Order: sequence, then structure tokens, then C-alpha cells
Amino acid sequence: MVDDGQRLLSSVVASQLDTHSKYGGVVPELASREHLRAIVPVVRQALQDAATTFEDLDAVAVTSGPGLVGSLLVGVTYAKALCFAGSLPLIAVNHVEGHIHAVILEERQQSRDVAFPALALVVSGGHTHLFEVPAIGSYRLLGKTRDDAAGEAYDKVAKLLGFGYPGGPVLDRLAPSGDPRAVKFTLARMKGNELDFSFSGLKTAVLRWVEGHNLADEIAQRRELQRAHPAPSIEQWLIATPQATRDLIASFQRTVIEELLRRALASADEIGAESIIVSGGVACNAGLRAATNRYPGYRFLFPSFSLSTDNAAMIAAAAFPKLERGEFAGFDLRAQANLVLA
Amino acid sequence: MLQFETRSDEETREAGRAVAQKLPASALVLLSGELGAGKTTLVKGIVDGLGIAGADDVSSPTYTIVHEYGEPVRVYHVDLYRLDTEEEVRGFGFEDLLDRRALVLVEWGERFPQLLPRERIEITIDTTGESSRRITVRGLSSDSPASSIGGT
Repeated sequence: MVDDGQRLLSSVVASQLDTHSKYGGVVPELASREHLRAIVPVVRQALQDAATTFEDLDAVAVTSGPGLVGSLLVGVTYAKALCFAGSLPLIAVNHVEGHIHAVILEERQQSRDVAFPALALVVSGGHTHLFEVPAIGSYRLLGKTRDDAAGEAYDKVAKLLGFGYPGGPVLDRLAPSGDPRAVKFTLARMKGNELDFSFSGLKTAVLRWVEGHNLADEIAQRRELQRAHPAPSIEQWLIATPQATRDLIASFQRTVIEELLRRALASADEIGAESIIVSGGVACNAGLRAATNRYPGYRFLFPSFSLSTDNAAMIAAAAFPKLERGEFAGFDLRAQANLVLA
Repeated sequence: MLQFETRSDEETREAGRAVAQKLPASALVLLSGELGAGKTTLVKGIVDGLGIAGADDVSSPTYTIVHEYGEPVRVYHVDLYRLDTEEEVRGFGFEDLLDRRALVLVEWGERFPQLLPRERIEITIDTTGESSRRITVRGLSSDSPASSIGGT
């Protein structure tokens, strides 16, 4: 629930609800059946947390893509039903646009406006995109990953090192214990659009390093640690991670951050950006946040941790400019798995 | 059986373009190979070879599970890497995809043999060197025992 495009009234994520635990070990965001079970309690909770009822709503916003079509369909169909029952306008929002608006919403909450033109780096397990944002609601794609998303590279490297899946956040927390210059990784050189990203080569380089350094025993030890403790503490991980592997992790992290920031800064210069919005799950990465401090000439904006990862508040925030413009979706709105923002 | 020896990502994409010409409009294609073998790279070539999207527009579906190409959809690129149980695979609608009139290209599908139709095409990518790969295609209906394109 978002009020007036600038006040976050409530934000509910299904995995935080108690009722969720009874769903068992299914990856919840994947299964349309789990969406179907969660959507009514989640919406009810969001209304309750905001001390509002359906009668107070001006419009309902829903993600129409990109994503898994089954999961999108549950949201789109439910939103249509709510709008039909309450004679409310329906607003379709692109998931990626939502990530950008997470930052705009939080700036507004502190009575600040994002300065445009802005550069947006949306970086998560599924996305690594650079957009020029000349003004609210206007986007131009500058670059995107041609293979793995940055968050995906983190999670795959974590898994091959025995930190489980998804283990990207564990690598971020272990990285400060290693030497980021110990292992030299080659930066990706892109033919064609130099603002495109590639993380597949880096992932493979880590795999080759692991194969060449006889890590089988320590990887087995870490897998054992995770079997014994579902969520090991960082101290437990450190004990199970020798210095050479910490150095590898620090070097991997440094390389990913350099790939991201190099292109973000080049893009920002190219478009004369007044601010750089970084959003998506990887925006939680402490190493990335710290690295931006090295560039005081640029105004970097990150969302809070809870609005970095997928959430519905950012979708409501992104809907406000459309509400003001009267840009409503019809009941023929379709879920579009491969919807692009620009 | 169809076999290719490639020495670079570009050659693997080129092999994908050649494979595309041999694939039927509708089939399940199992893509096997270790992490970093080039499964997504091969899909780039296949999608480009079919003329429905550029190679640069094909990215990894690990997180998103399914990427669609074509309008109407002619290729579903599926990655089961982060799924652990058959229930999860069924849960996102994998079996529905198999009923579509489309190519369903599946990475890490060999982990769920019970869910794969017996009639399928299998593409295996073996790492033969730092950047060289052997790509083997089995199960094409036009298979003759010794057809071979490209390399040796």
C-alpha cells in the first residue's frame, strides 16, 4: 500500500507470513499454486497493516511482466477481479520499472526528489540492466547482460564453492576477509555495445580456479556445515573457509563490482546523469555500496534492503505516475512473460 | 547423430545456427553439459538461427526459469538449475510447456528423468579444452548413423 506516491503504508512479502511455512520446501515464487494460496492473505495483511479497507483504494496496480507466466497470471487475474468488484482502475506495471521506483518512493518519503536525467542500474538474480531515465516514466535501454545476471553469477559461484544456493549474500559477507587483488580475473570486453554485461566467463574462470586448487575437502566440509546448520553464521563459514578461498571470493566480488560500476559510470557520463539509481537484489551487496563511495562526484541512490529485493510496494509506487496520467489497463490485460521496459 | 567441434563461443553459436536448421518445430531438447560448458551460448545460436531473436538478446534463464522467444512463442528456453524437486518443476508448469507447439530447450533437465518425455532430442556439450567443445546431437528424426557437419 502506497499513499500519494510518496508514503509507504504497508509492504507484505509472502515468505514473511507465518502461514507460509506450511507450504514446505517449494521455491514459493515459482509456483502459481503457491501464489494462488498466498495472494488473498497477503493483500488482506497489506490492507490491515495500513489500517485501510478496499473502500479506501483509488486503484490497483499489478505486475504484468516480465516473469513466470503462471505466477503473473495469478496476480493479473486477482487484480482484475478486485478492480471489477470495486469499480477501480487497473494499472499494469513492469517489474523492472518497479525496482527503479523503489528508490524514487524512498527519496520522496524523505521529501527529496530524484534529480533527472538519471541512470538506473537494475541488478538482481534475473536482471542486469542499465537504463537512461530522462524523466519519470521514460526509459531507454543502454545495456544488459548477454548471459548470466550478476546475482546469478554470485549464486552459482557460491554453490560451486559449497556455500549452498542462493549463497550470493554469504560471499558478500566473506569478501572483506580476503585480498581482492589476489586472483586476477579478466574483465569482459564486449563486442558491439560496450555497455552490455557478461558474467558467464567470470563464472567459468572461478570454476577453473577451483578445479586447479584441490578444494574438494573444504567444499565437502562446507556442505556438511550447511547440512548440520540450516543457516550457518558468518563466523562458522569463516572457520570452514581457508585464506586462499577467501582471497578468491574477495577477487570475484571486486571483479563483479568493477564490471557493474565501470559501465554504470560510463553510461552516467554519456547521458549526463544527475543521479545513479541502483536497485534489485544485488543492491543489498555491501561491497557494491561501499565501492560507490570511491566516486563522490556521482550521486548514487540505493533503496533500503527490504525494497531492494522483490516487493509489491515498488509496484504501487511505479503506478502513481500512471494514475496521474490516467494510463489504465483494460480487462484484456495479459500476463507477458517477456515484457520489456525499453 | 550430428557432431560439431568448436573452438570459441562464436563457433558454438554457429553450431547452434546449424542445429536450428535440423530441429523440428515442436520437440523437447535436453541440453547437457557442465557449468560453463556453453549451453546458453548454444541456445543463442539456435534462436538466432531460427530468426526469432538476436544472439545478444538470449540470456541465462537460471533465475527466471523460462525465457520465451517468438510471437507466438516458438522457443521456450528452460533452466531447472535452481530447482530441487519434481514438485517444484511441476509447480511452475513445466508439463504445460511440453504440450505447446514449440521447441522446449531444457538445461539441467537430466536431473528430473521422470518428467522428460521419452521422445526427445539430446544435445551434449563436452569440454575438450579451455575454449573448445564437442557438441553431439542425438534423436533427430532424420538421424543417419554417420552424418556430420563442421570440423571432424
